[in-house]
Amino acid sequence: MDKTNAIEVRNMSKQFKVEYDKANTLKTKLIFWNRKKPEFHQVLNNINLNIKKGETVALIGVNGSGKSTLLKLMTKIIYPTKGTIETDGKLTSLLELGAGFHPDFTGRENIYFNASIFGLTRKEIDARIDDIIEFSELGEFIDNPIRTYSSGMYMRLAFSVAINVDAEILLIDEILAVGDQHFQEKCYNKLRELRDSNKTIVIVTHSLEVVKDLCTRVIWIYKGQLRLDGDPTYVVDEYLEQVAQDHKQERQKNIESGKQKSKAVVYIDSPRDISKVDATDQQHLFKGWQISDSDDATIHFYLDGNPMDIKVDRTYRKDVYDAYFDHYVGFMDVNTIGWQFQYDLTTLEKGKHKFKVECKEKECILASKEIEFENV
Amino acid sequence: MSIFKNLYNYRELLKTNVKKDIRGRYKGSFLGILWSFLNPLLQVVVYWIVFPYLFGRGVTGENYLIYLITGIIPWTFFMTSVNMGTSSIKANGGIIKKVYFPREIIPLSQVLSGIVNFLISCLIIIIFCIGTGTGLSYHVIAVFPILIVQSLLTLGIVLILSAVDVYVQDIENIVAFILNMLMYGTPIIYHLSQFSASSAGILYTLITINPLTTIIGSYRNAFMYHQWPDFKSLGLVFVFSLVVLGIGYMIFKKLEKGFAEEL
Repeated sequence: MDKTNAIEVRNMSKQFKVEYDKANTLKTKLIFWNRKKPEFHQVLNNINLNIKKGETVALIGVNGSGKSTLLKLMTKIIYPTKGTIETDGKLTSLLELGAGFHPDFTGRENIYFNASIFGLTRKEIDARIDDIIEFSELGEFIDNPIRTYSSGMYMRLAFSVAINVDAEILLIDEILAVGDQHFQEKCYNKLRELRDSNKTIVIVTHSLEVVKDLCTRVIWIYKGQLRLDGDPTYVVDEYLEQVAQDHKQERQKNIESGKQKSKAVVYIDSPRDISKVDATDQQHLFKGWQISDSDDATIHFYLDGNPMDIKVDRTYRKDVYDAYFDHYVGFMDVNTIGWQFQYDLTTLEKGKHKFKVECKEKECILASKEIEFENV
Repeated sequence: MSIFKNLYNYRELLKTNVKKDIRGRYKGSFLGILWSFLNPLLQVVVYWIVFPYLFGRGVTGENYLIYLITGIIPWTFFMTSVNMGTSSIKANGGIIKKVYFPREIIPLSQVLSGIVNFLISCLIIIIFCIGTGTGLSYHVIAVFPILIVQSLLTLGIVLILSAVDVYVQDIENIVAFILNMLMYGTPIIYHLSQFSASSAGILYTLITINPLTTIIGSYRNAFMYHQWPDFKSLGLVFVFSLVVLGIGYMIFKKLEKGFAEEL
């Protein structure tokens, strides 16, 4: 193994046995001893990888692509079917927070249990315990049994232990969604600190912001194989393109086979529902946004039930794009999500009016939103 | 050598595991840890009352109370360790699936907590020996080498059973049955002399080659008869235990790779 490498993966493949019914009792094993060979599910296929000491690497990929399996293989919780994985240095994996926690013991005692699972000795834990307690912000609660903790406190304690273990290689699986905004920020700062102190970090995450912010290298796993490996911006970009494409294909297939109906969301930002607008305003701005996963979707505006004859501008809406990324990726163009138009309110009678937006696919209404405003 | 280094690195985990085992087993009950000692004692009382009635005083021999205690307490150590040890990997499935640590720590801590319980129970034996007038002699120090032999044998067996139990769940029931048989296959509540070689035949042979017969006989020599154990047969059992431990370790290492997937 190369001295500069923290993790070396060579020709590594992993299969899982697919068991429809677990023939785990002796009886069934004896009766079905000559049953035909079980099926295997190939999760990872011929992976070769070097992770250098001091690198911060993100593994990305859609659900089921095998990235978490790769992380588990690195921690030696499971073993490869073929090939080898070697690691050099003290390794800690944060696949699960609070392993070995016992609800009847106090937070302080549980720090000892939990840290001992990570391979720390009593002396090492003693040296860190103040840091851990301080990081967790639990204060006096640390001497209460942890069954009295809220789930946020529990996670904070668990994360504080894990991050203070002082490993040379840190493997993290999608667990950074811990606690409130403030605590998350603190966790990221700690991770940045670890990164800058030359620790090796491998992180599995779906949050591409984290990837770009934290990592120096991204590895993209696609259907059990290494697809791309390199600079975060480039790999993430390619990844997003592929995800969008896959998503679109799958959606279209489902829609064609009738398994899934098209859907859409529309929203009106302004005017607000049951608000009052100035009747003298000649260029009152109506705006909102609309997304759909149908290519045939069209948008229609109605005032008091009558179609409006107006010129609509489409606008750039990054906030909506991010919020609906998971469900509408591949169908959204970030530049044309928003809509807006100006309307002359002086042409309108005073009093209450109804404004309605509809998103239609042919004659079928996918989504609609109606508000009421008062012209005064 | 890497086995020992690995275990040494994780010594704190071993320690907390043993502690949790000993304290946790009877947590919530009023008498708590006392049950670990009360259970075998109550068993002793039952046999002590019932057996002389069944077989008559002549058969159970003199000092039957001490005879029972010196048999049942080492047997309890063996039985509890094997019983709890067999399901130990499965019982700890949660953390095995999530964290890496040397897996052998789990069966090892089962046996270690058994040893701690046994050593405390030895105080009970000593109290009874002195209290009933049997007395003690310096031969009692032989308990330590005997304990080492018994622990190695127990650990070997627990390693095998705990690993296989992950794959074949029936093991737990089979073990419960075999332990039950083994108790009667070891001179714990009766004297070996009650069997005559000619009439019992194969049964007698089986009981004499049972390594636990030698181990429990040795304890009795140390506590009750004030003699050194038969070092030759104890040595044989020691060699046998090492072989079982070696095989057990190999099986465990082979099977542990699938633990996280099977559990």
